[in-house]
Amino acid sequence: MPFPLGAAYALVALGFVLVLNATTAVNFAHGESVVAGGFTAVALTFFLPPDLRIPGLILLPGVVVVTAVLGLAIGALAYLPIRNRPPVSVFVTTIAVGMIVANGLNATFGAAPRTAPPLIGVGTIDLIGVSISRQSLVIIATACVLIGGLAIVLQRTQLGRQFRACSQDPEMARAIGIRLTRITLLSFALGTAFAGAAGLLLAHQFFISPADGAPLILKAYIAVVIGGWGSLRGAALGALLIAVFEVGVAAISSQPLAEGLLYVIVLVVLFLRPQGLLGEPQQVRA
Amino acid sequence: MNPRNSLMIFGGGGLAIYALFFASSYDQRLLTLSGIYVVLVLGYQFIFGHAGALSLAQGAFFGLGAYTSGILGSQYGAEFLVTFPLSVAAAVTIAVLVSIPVLRLQSHYFALATLALSQLLLLIAINWEPVTGGANGLSGVPPVRILGWQLARGLPLLSFVWIIAGLAMLVSYWQINTARKAAFTVMRETPLATAAFGIDRSMLRFRAFLLSAAFGGAAGALFVHTNRVVSPETLSFGVMITCLTMTVVGGRFGIPGAVIGALLLTHLPEWFRGLQEYYLVAVGVLLLATVVFAPNGIEGLLRFGKSSPKPSAGTATDEKSEPADIGGSELIATHLSKRYGGVRALDDVNLRIQPGEIVGVIGPNGAGKTTLANILTGSATSDAGTVTLAGHDITHAPEYQIAQLGLTRTFQTPQLPADLSVRDIIRIAQADRPAANTDAVLRNFNLLAVADMPCGTIAHGIRRRVEVCRAVAAEPGALVLDEPGAGLSPEEQGEISALCRTLAENGLAILLIDHNVAFLKPLVTRMVCMESGRIIADGTPEDVLADPRVQDAYFGVTTL
Repeated sequence: MPFPLGAAYALVALGFVLVLNATTAVNFAHGESVVAGGFTAVALTFFLPPDLRIPGLILLPGVVVVTAVLGLAIGALAYLPIRNRPPVSVFVTTIAVGMIVANGLNATFGAAPRTAPPLIGVGTIDLIGVSISRQSLVIIATACVLIGGLAIVLQRTQLGRQFRACSQDPEMARAIGIRLTRITLLSFALGTAFAGAAGLLLAHQFFISPADGAPLILKAYIAVVIGGWGSLRGAALGALLIAVFEVGVAAISSQPLAEGLLYVIVLVVLFLRPQGLLGEPQQVRA
Repeated sequence: MNPRNSLMIFGGGGLAIYALFFASSYDQRLLTLSGIYVVLVLGYQFIFGHAGALSLAQGAFFGLGAYTSGILGSQYGAEFLVTFPLSVAAAVTIAVLVSIPVLRLQSHYFALATLALSQLLLLIAINWEPVTGGANGLSGVPPVRILGWQLARGLPLLSFVWIIAGLAMLVSYWQINTARKAAFTVMRETPLATAAFGIDRSMLRFRAFLLSAAFGGAAGALFVHTNRVVSPETLSFGVMITCLTMTVVGGRFGIPGAVIGALLLTHLPEWFRGLQEYYLVAVGVLLLATVVFAPNGIEGLLRFGKSSPKPSAGTATDEKSEPADIGGSELIATHLSKRYGGVRALDDVNLRIQPGEIVGVIGPNGAGKTTLANILTGSATSDAGTVTLAGHDITHAPEYQIAQLGLTRTFQTPQLPADLSVRDIIRIAQADRPAANTDAVLRNFNLLAVADMPCGTIAHGIRRRVEVCRAVAAEPGALVLDEPGAGLSPEEQGEISALCRTLAENGLAILLIDHNVAFLKPLVTRMVCMESGRIIADGTPEDVLADPRVQDAYFGVTTL
């Protein structure tokens, strides 16, 4: 069933686009942020009484706070000091942060895949005659709540309007008194927290290991390419499509083949439409 | 001798003495590994440093070379003289294949596509077990053997690897000559203007990408014959990150940078031994800190003896040079149309500019003036219509060819790489005109005094003049100037006007786009007014400015 995976991918992709829109920079540490979220859940479990079987969903606020702080660090250390340099620089600094996170986790927890506690119990629920695992249902529900919350913040609040203003025209936003640096840092915090939440959701059913960052950033990236560069709705849709494809192909063949085919398709898509699948060609003015 | 060269010679000599007399067998292994990484990093400098594109496929090319040599060596007992060229060929072949979809992509898409390629190759290596040995890889790769003569471990292997590294340095030195280095700088720092210099951007990127692949494949082959096993590790993202870190920390542009980066990063684990597993975290911090605090790496920090601008031979002579009689080319646009989504940017535009004519284009914002300039010079393509220059159809010619054929342009914002001197800029523009006299052109534009200053340090008004000079230096027959007077003082505008008049007297056909009617009116021989993608008036400046439609479209807005 592709929907829990798709829901988690959607969170990852949305977080990625949030940072992208605020900075026009690609945050390459985003994949490792997902991993960091998963391992935060694993680590927090040590503090829970083991015999009470407390649902993993309780860890969500903790995971969000930890990864939001990580996001602030990425923004403050890897983006703000070099924001006026060519975009490749931000690529390299965020790759460096990803390296720090992945290897730090690897040294602390080891390279083997870990699993976080189940989100809410185990077993299945009967829903209109279809039996769905509780895990899947909770993953989907949590992702929907987070995405819905994000939509409300962006559309209905003053903060959301500031976010959108900064992504459309940062100079103008600054000119009308929006504190660009603050919004930029908030975007990093929020985007990374979304990645972290996705890490928690993925960590029980799909396991998590320190080296998972690269495939995760690739999928977020692909989702954004499919959905159109910078489009939040497109990114969520793209993420869902990737999950459907991955689960579908894996069901009739194998997981490596599904993943390999996905990368081949990306190369083909970029060949046919260099501006992405749903994106408009961008005009450059000198 | 300047201090930088002596430092390099002492450093290299010291290293050789250390390797020959003091290094333990373990140290020698580290030095061998460094030599292999020197080759890898030299390759990566082409695409990441000079071309300025973040390729994440350098590790993949390394792995491809490693697997080619590993499979041929362990399964078929092939010799180094067979495995090495085939490893290079395998990497280059894959690079050629993916360059078709990948090379024209913009920065982030290029990084994504090269990362996808790497992950794809890694998946294949892990899952195609009968050929690659799967997750365990293949052991039993023979050592370097050449015509039956086998290289022993230790000093012989070390020397051999560094001889190959030396050859790689020679190739790198030969490929990045002064002219090409300057062309790369233009492409990296002012991508929009690359073609206006007559530089073929895709060819330059293609060359850099293939060179990086060839060096990557070579390094992979050396690595496997040294290590004697090949595993998916050689294709992992770790190799890519190691290579990136070496390049950033050592330096992106030069041979010393590659050597310093490779030596440092292979020896760091020894020096950071106390950190144990957290060693790679420290490397990440080092990478981050280097980008923030020393963007040009250690090599950049060592540039204390950078040669000051040398006085050029031509500066002293004071001969009065007449501008060469260039002769002009007639520029004709017929039925040009262009749509962006639902907007008609150009709608059946017809325009003819004869040699010696200065045609001014006015019109409100969004009238299609810049689109017209872009289509004429080839940086955008029209949906319909043709453009001819001196009778040749240039409608579908690539931008850089149009510049070479004699239609050059300037940009609204001067596109001049900050680190290149004014003289460098003019030389690059004249790359296809070996007979051209750089100093004569500079003198005609009154730029000799600033000729050796970096473009980043000169005043805006002078930058504008450099931009026009750059466009003229290639001896074009026709010129498109996009708002050359914008942001200039009346005196500076006067200088630009005088320049334009001289150029037109020399026979150039000039199209001049500007908002400033006061600037255009006394200068142009003919004026054209555009609105909503159409030409609504065409004639003498007086007639056009008196035309009620023009007043409606243009001044109607401003006089309200």
